Amino acid sequence: MSEKHARLLYALGTTLGENGVFAANKLAQEDTNDLSHTNVAAAKQMKAMKPLQDAWDHYTLTLATLRDTFALLDDQDMAELADAEAQHIVADLNHQLVHVIPTLLRPTSETADLSALIELKSGVGGSESSHFLAEMLRMYVRVARAEGWSPTILANNESDNGGVKDAILEIKGEGAYDALKWESGVHRVQRVPATEASGRLHTSTVAAVVLPLSDEPPSDVKDELFNLEDVKIEVMRARGAGGQHVNKTESAVRITHIPTGISVSMQDERSQHQNRRRAFQVLRARLMDRKIILDQAQRRAARKSLVRTADRSEKIRTYNYPQDRVTDHRLGKGNMSWNDVLEGDGLMIFIRELQGKHDVDSFIDKFVPE
Amino acid sequence: MRLLRALQQAIGAPSAHNELRWMKRAIAASPATVPDLDTMVARRVAGEPLQYILGAQPFGPLMLQVRPPVLIPRPETEDWALRLASAFPPPPGVTGMRVQRALDLCTGSACIPLLLCAQRPPGTLHAVAVDSSDAALALARDNARACAVPCATDARRHTPPTNTLALLRADVLDTAALAAALRPHGPFDLLTANPPYITRAEYAELPPSVRDWEDPAALLGDLPAAPPSGGLAFYHAIAALLARGDVLRAGGWLALEVGAGQARAVAAVVGAALAGASETQIWCDPWGKERVVVAHGARR
Repeated sequence: MSEKHARLLYALGTTLGENGVFAANKLAQEDTNDLSHTNVAAAKQMKAMKPLQDAWDHYTLTLATLRDTFALLDDQDMAELADAEAQHIVADLNHQLVHVIPTLLRPTSETADLSALIELKSGVGGSESSHFLAEMLRMYVRVARAEGWSPTILANNESDNGGVKDAILEIKGEGAYDALKWESGVHRVQRVPATEASGRLHTSTVAAVVLPLSDEPPSDVKDELFNLEDVKIEVMRARGAGGQHVNKTESAVRITHIPTGISVSMQDERSQHQNRRRAFQVLRARLMDRKIILDQAQRRAARKSLVRTADRSEKIRTYNYPQDRVTDHRLGKGNMSWNDVLEGDGLMIFIRELQGKHDVDSFIDKFVPE
Repeated sequence: MRLLRALQQAIGAPSAHNELRWMKRAIAASPATVPDLDTMVARRVAGEPLQYILGAQPFGPLMLQVRPPVLIPRPETEDWALRLASAFPPPPGVTGMRVQRALDLCTGSACIPLLLCAQRPPGTLHAVAVDSSDAALALARDNARACAVPCATDARRHTPPTNTLALLRADVLDTAALAAALRPHGPFDLLTANPPYITRAEYAELPPSVRDWEDPAALLGDLPAAPPSGGLAFYHAIAALLARGDVLRAGGWLALEVGAGQARAVAAVVGAALAGASETQIWCDPWGKERVVVAHGARR
């Protein structure tokens, strides 16, 4: 058992065990039948924690069974049976600890119903970087479809060499943001580019930022994230006399949110109307992202939490082509193949593990003193 | 790669990337209705407008069909028509019970009345679109069908309620005949037009994709065999129609697109015709050019 899991068990024991706070609440609840405010809150908390309590009870019961089984190992007649039984129980305990309990620790997310915008920008490595960006874009589109979300490429700025310099992908669907936010950070690719005659291994990067996307408020409701008067809307290229004199398609727009300086350019659609709508969508997502980061920072400062949040300039993953290995540096694992991640279900496995790790870390952070 | 380079030489690098993408996207969306990529690029390099090659042009939330030589809807027009659709007030009194009437002169693809039909609440607008060109009227009919706007004369006949469009063939320059043709449909709450406004001198200087492909009758605001009018011939004709007094309802709105530098002159022409117009405004387009003259008729 890892040190972390030991600490998790300790945390669970103090909160859910017989002498824990939760058990005390339970007793208080049984003692009095009055529905005072504190009791209602306690009842609510109890209900919310019921699945975790059940899992813990199951765990402690299984552990007791294991102790009884150990006692039988000394018995000549029973040893073989007890050994098999013990192995079975240990496997069950491990499963509970690694897979079941972490998912129950997940706090209800305020962002659970949000869709996501993934902004990809090519970094070091020139054309190889933009080629890999195109592959990542395909990966996210494929994963989104497999998860039942709807992906739409909002911007796709192709480079002259057939790659993509930068792109914005909208992924609509419940839970898309909560899952994909783990993709924010620098993705590093190592391979020999098709154009590299000398066969030298190149290292290139693509930066991903995943933003929360909420539905547009209805047109008669004021947007909570910005005032329309604070947004400057510009068309990008001159049109001379314009109107009937010109029939060239000029649909590119740039909008700038003056208070924050956030600026979004859109030119993907032939319709200026559509480009403007999309630019506002991206602006909303960036402002919402800012708000979430600020809220988190405040909460963390209040709690003096030790759980780090991802720094977006941090290298999160390495895709190594010649070694056919993809490593997520936050998990410290390199057990996925190139195809697992880019063509298979490897990405979602990474994401679920990252979620689970984060949930456990937060829980320990909350309940275990350093 | 080769196609991109050819396009870059013809229309410049930033546009080449976008246009190539739009061509590819059109092929992916409906391979049967558009030419193959080589053909498209060759036609574009030869100067044909992208919109005619793709056969369609977005206009606000609508996707309109376009085909030569009918004028291609411009982004300036899209901008003011959207703005007008939300600024134009509903009928006074009990809300929504009276169907408002809109008249669009020199309608071309019918982009303006169809956008109004799409943006106003269903069952509240009956639009009448006028053009002198059979090609334009045929395209307008196709577009009405594509936008699911019934071509009829009375919006109230439809269940569920829907906005409707009537098409009229008439010459805006023949004021008496036009007024007679409009009488059964009027009076109107709103008159819009994007009439031809290019002067004869400017016409010679137009980019080939405009001059060689779009109908001169939709562009030239100076009449043949007449002294140059600064491209204002159609505004004078519209003013004459307004001066008859029975076309625009009291308090009705007027919105006319104008060419660069014409706004003040057009405001003066229609201001004189709408004697006692309560207010005349000039709206700018997204590029900062004075683009639309908007007048509210006096309430009697």
